[in-house]
Amino acid sequence: MTNQRKSCLLGPISPAADGTLYQQIVDRLKREVSEGRLKPGAPLPSFRQLAEELLVSVITVKRAYEELEREGIIFRRQGLGTFVAEQGRDRSREAKLAAARELLSGGCREAAEAGLKPAEVLSLFHEILKERK
Amino acid sequence: MTNAIEIRGLVKKYPHFQLGPLDLTVPRGAIYGLIGPNGAGKTTTIDLMFGLGRNDAGHIRVLGLDHRADDVQLKQLAAYVSPDLNFQVWGKVGKALRFVRGFYPGWDDTYCSALMKAFHLSAGDRIATLSSGAKTKLSLLLALARRPEVLVLDEPITGLDAVSKQQVFRELLEAVADGERTVLVSSHSLSDIERFADHVGLLKNGRLLLEGRTDEVVDRYRLVEFFTRNGDGLQSPAPDGLLILRSNENRWHALLDQKSGAQEWLQRQGARDVTLTRLTLEDLFVALFKEEEVS
Repeated sequence: MTNQRKSCLLGPISPAADGTLYQQIVDRLKREVSEGRLKPGAPLPSFRQLAEELLVSVITVKRAYEELEREGIIFRRQGLGTFVAEQGRDRSREAKLAAARELLSGGCREAAEAGLKPAEVLSLFHEILKERK
Repeated sequence: MTNAIEIRGLVKKYPHFQLGPLDLTVPRGAIYGLIGPNGAGKTTTIDLMFGLGRNDAGHIRVLGLDHRADDVQLKQLAAYVSPDLNFQVWGKVGKALRFVRGFYPGWDDTYCSALMKAFHLSAGDRIATLSSGAKTKLSLLLALARRPEVLVLDEPITGLDAVSKQQVFRELLEAVADGERTVLVSSHSLSDIERFADHVGLLKNGRLLLEGRTDEVVDRYRLVEFFTRNGDGLQSPAPDGLLILRSNENRWHALLDQKSGAQEWLQRQGARDVTLTRLTLEDLFVALFKEEEVS
């Protein structure tokens, strides 16, 4: 009710972050699933619960759930609620891979525009990987 | 019944302003943001709903009740919060609560206490010495604790700090959490409306310019930049759905309605380097309402 019981299920969302609020919810839920914090069969909060937790409109949450359902990451059971799908982890991993691919090709485009040759791009990439370790 | 509020053909004439004919639909369970520049008719619309002033034509139905014929029943089910409401005559918060409580059988004492705590109000507070933000919270509390089916708020967050504002929206989200109750809120705080309201209606000069799901309304428009050949203007006047905002030699900025044929029209005009940029509700509002100054 009025007392703040935040369940803290998702990473934070903010209008200042990339993407619309609904896309951010999709991203954050995918991350929970792909990193195994939300396991197949686990129930998700209702639209209204999550809307209250994230302080966004119910429609925003509904739209995010609909997209995740289309991608096969979650499924809905009439009257029971929404759950993480069996293959949700693979699906959200696929989605992550596709996103990574897109970001990397964007990076390659920028590098090419900066005049880097393929070998230089590769060594730059190795450098980045080393920094992250 | 899927709509909580239906306004059809509503007209109210003043010497220098006419509201309507106005059609407006608030679905049940929605938080509906009514937005528009000052003087667009937001408060007039809300006042008419609660029988303040008599409309010249049209009707308003709230939960199927006619705003004139069924006004007593309507006022039992619908609550109204306005910055003009003044509770000072009761002296203390507790007295105001006891007074208002008596009128409404649905009054929820537990909820009322929880709201008092959340809003940092106590029964012993003198209303006259409350800050303007605390007065706003009091009038909101008096409306919420009735557990109304329909809650109508005129500028509820004016003068509230960021923390209080968030508290108010948290309570509004909770108020509609059962999917049955409905909130209609007029506000100039467009970033808040974009985040919390699932439906919006844009009023301009007494008419409804746009209405729909907030995400769909915002997503329908883009800021478009394009270039024409040096020295060339646009060959024919811009069609509906393309609102020119600025131009500088051959560079143009405009508001594009993606549901209109304006993008194809731009291509036929030979516009080059067309880029589309998403915009916020606030950007959209500014673009739509600055129109007169440009032309």
